[in-house]
Amino acid sequence: MMNNINVILARSMVASFPRVATCSKRLTSSLSSEAVRQNHLFDIEQKKQKESVGRIEKIQIEYEGPTDKATLTMNKHISTPFDCAKHLGERIADQSAVALLNNDTLWHMHKPLPDSCKLQFLHYKIPQPTAVNKIFWRSCSFILGAVANAAFKDTVKVQLHSFPSPNVRSGSFVYDVQLDLADWKPTEKELKVLSIEMIKFCQQSHAIEHMNVSTELALDLFRNNTHKYQQIPDIAAHNNGKITLFRAGHHIDISRGPMVTNTNHLGRVTIANVIKLNTDVPGGPIYRFQGVALPKSIMLNHFAFGLLEERARNLNPARIPGSQESFEEDNSFVAQVTA
Amino acid sequence: MALALTTTFTKSTVKFLEERLLLLTISCGPVRNKSKQNPKPRLRNPTWFTQKHRVSSDDNVTLENKEFLKEVVQDRYFNVDNEISKDLASNVIWRPGLQRTGVMARKIGIYPMWLKTGKKISTTLLQVLDNHVIKYYPPEDYDPQVKRVGRIYNRKGCLLLGAEGADPSTFTREYCGLFKDSGVIPKRHLARFFVSPDAVLPAGTLISALHFQAGNYVDVRGLTIDRGFQGVMKRHGFKGMPASHGVTKTHRRGGNIGGGGEKGRVWPGTKMPGHMGNRYRILRGLKIWRINTKYNVLFVSGQNIPGATNSIVYIYDTKLPARKPAEPLPFPTYIGTGEELSENIFDKEIHEFSEPTIVYSDKN
Repeated sequence: MMNNINVILARSMVASFPRVATCSKRLTSSLSSEAVRQNHLFDIEQKKQKESVGRIEKIQIEYEGPTDKATLTMNKHISTPFDCAKHLGERIADQSAVALLNNDTLWHMHKPLPDSCKLQFLHYKIPQPTAVNKIFWRSCSFILGAVANAAFKDTVKVQLHSFPSPNVRSGSFVYDVQLDLADWKPTEKELKVLSIEMIKFCQQSHAIEHMNVSTELALDLFRNNTHKYQQIPDIAAHNNGKITLFRAGHHIDISRGPMVTNTNHLGRVTIANVIKLNTDVPGGPIYRFQGVALPKSIMLNHFAFGLLEERARNLNPARIPGSQESFEEDNSFVAQVTA
Repeated sequence: MALALTTTFTKSTVKFLEERLLLLTISCGPVRNKSKQNPKPRLRNPTWFTQKHRVSSDDNVTLENKEFLKEVVQDRYFNVDNEISKDLASNVIWRPGLQRTGVMARKIGIYPMWLKTGKKISTTLLQVLDNHVIKYYPPEDYDPQVKRVGRIYNRKGCLLLGAEGADPSTFTREYCGLFKDSGVIPKRHLARFFVSPDAVLPAGTLISALHFQAGNYVDVRGLTIDRGFQGVMKRHGFKGMPASHGVTKTHRRGGNIGGGGEKGRVWPGTKMPGHMGNRYRILRGLKIWRINTKYNVLFVSGQNIPGATNSIVYIYDTKLPARKPAEPLPFPTYIGTGEELSENIFDKEIHEFSEPTIVYSDKN
C-alpha cells in the first residue's frame, strides 16, 4: 500500500500530496519523447495529405438549419464541416457537436468533405440526441485515455489498451489501461485529482483533429504500445485497410467513429472509479478507468449529478479485454449488455 | 519589606495576569446607561459557514426523472428507520447542574388559556420543528467567535442542530456536505446549542416538543421585528411634548441631551433616534402551559415573544435560579417508549374545557 502511494500521480498534480513535486507548466519540452515522436509523424502525414490534394475542385454544400438554409461553395477534400459552420456564425461553430451529411452519415466536424452534399449540424439539445450522446461518450473515453496517459509519474509504466463501444445507458464511459501497479485502489483524493486533470485538459480547448492513415504508418506510430500494435491489423481489416486517428492536444488515439468538435464541449466531468480487471492480457494488470460527464450546455443540479457519479462507480459491464470471449448469445447478461 | 527581585513566572501566574489584562482592556470609559448598551449587530459567521443557496437554473431534466429524484430523496432520508433513539442509553441521571440541548421552533400565533382560578393568560404557540442533531463539537474542539473574558468553568460542548428539511438540490453542494456525515436531509436552519458533555446526543437524533414538559420554564430567543429607523418616542418610550397649547415645532423630539460643566459633551449611550429591531433578544422564565403532541406545539406564556409570526425562535431550559425544575427532566432528550400519549398535555393549573365550569364563591 505504501508503495502505491509513492508511485501515484505526476508532477503536474496539486501539492496536497507530500510525495508529489510542485506544479509545472505543460510545455512541449515536458512531453515524453514518445509523444514528441508520435506528433512529429502525425504532423508530417497531415501536411503530406494536404499537399496530395492537387488541383482544388469546388463543391456545393447545401446547409439546412432549423430556421434558414444556405448554399456554400467549398473546397473538395480540404474544407471541413467546421469551416462551413464558421461561415454561418460563431454560435453554430462553437456549439455543433457533429455534422450530418445527406441526412444519414455522421461526419466529424474536422474531417474534410469528399463531395457536394446536404449538411446539418447536430448539437446536444436536439429532440433525438441518441447519436450525439454516443459521440459525446466516445469523445469522453478518448480524453480519459489522454488523461490516464499523462497522469502517472515516470516510474509507472502506462500502456493504453482500448476502449469499448460507447454505451451511455451503462452509466459511465470507460478506458482500459495497463498499469505497472500490482494492486491499486484509488483513494477519493486521487480520483478527485484525476477529474481535475481531465477538466483542465478539456478547458485548454483542443480541437479534436481527424486523419485516415495507412496500416504501416499506424504501426509505426504505435510501435511502443503492444496492445494497439496488435489491434491495428484487425481494425484495418474492417476498415478497408485504413486506420482512423484522432488527435487532441498531444494525444493521439485510434477510434472508429466521429468525435466531438472540441474538448471544451465537456462540462461537468468526474472520474468515478478505477477498477482492476480480471484478464489474461500479458504485461501487467489492466485497470478500467470509469467516468461520467455532461456537455457544457446541459445544466444539472449537484444532487442529481451525485446520483450519476454513484452509478458510475459500479463496474461497467462492457466487454473485458483478453481472451475471455467465450460468450454465448443466449446468456441473458450479455444480451442485456449488447442491446 | 524585602522585595523579591527574582520572581519565577509560572504558567498559572502568566494566565492570571493575562485574564486581568483582558478585563482592563474590555472596560470602556463613562457611558450613560451602560447596562442597557448593546454592541452593534455585526455579522459573525459560524465556523461551519458555507454559501447556502445556489442560483437555480432550468435543469434539463425530464418530468419522469424529476419524479424519480423526489423518490430518491424520500427513500434516502425518510424511509430510513430512526434506530438511533432506541440505542440512546440514558446512563447519565439528570442532576441540576447539567445543561441539555435546546430546540428550534416557529412562532405560529397567540392563544388565550384560563387557569383554575379563572384568570385568563395569553400564550404563544411555538411549533417545534423537525430538529435533528447534525454534529457535536466537544469542549476542547469548539472555538467560539467571541472569546469570553476570564476562566470558564464547566466547559460546554457545542451541539449543532438542523431544522426544516428541504430538497437538497435547492442548496449548494458545500452546504449539503455539512449533512453528509450524519445522513440527515439538508436542513434550512442550523443552530448551535451549548450542552454539558454528558448531554451529548448522537448525530441523527430527532428532538421533538416532548423534550420539554408542561410546567417547565424556558427561555426563548428570537429576532425582534425590524422597525427600521425609529424616533425616540417609539424606540425609548419618551413622553414627547404636548400636541398643542403653543408648543413650537417640538412634539416627538428627544429634548435635552446633556448637561454642561466639566463633562460637557453628549455621553456615549445617550438615547437618540436610530435603527430599532432586528436584534436577538431573550425572554426569560416563560412557563409551558400545554404541549400538543400531535403537532409538536408548546404553549408558552406571554404574547411578547421576540419576532414576527412564522419566524424561527430558539428555546432553552431556563437559567433563572428560581424557576429551575424540581423533578428530573428527560435527559439528554425524550425517547419515545412507544406508549400512546394524549394529544394535549396540560399543566396542572390550567383549566381544561372538559372539566366542570369554574364557580366563584360568594364570600367577600
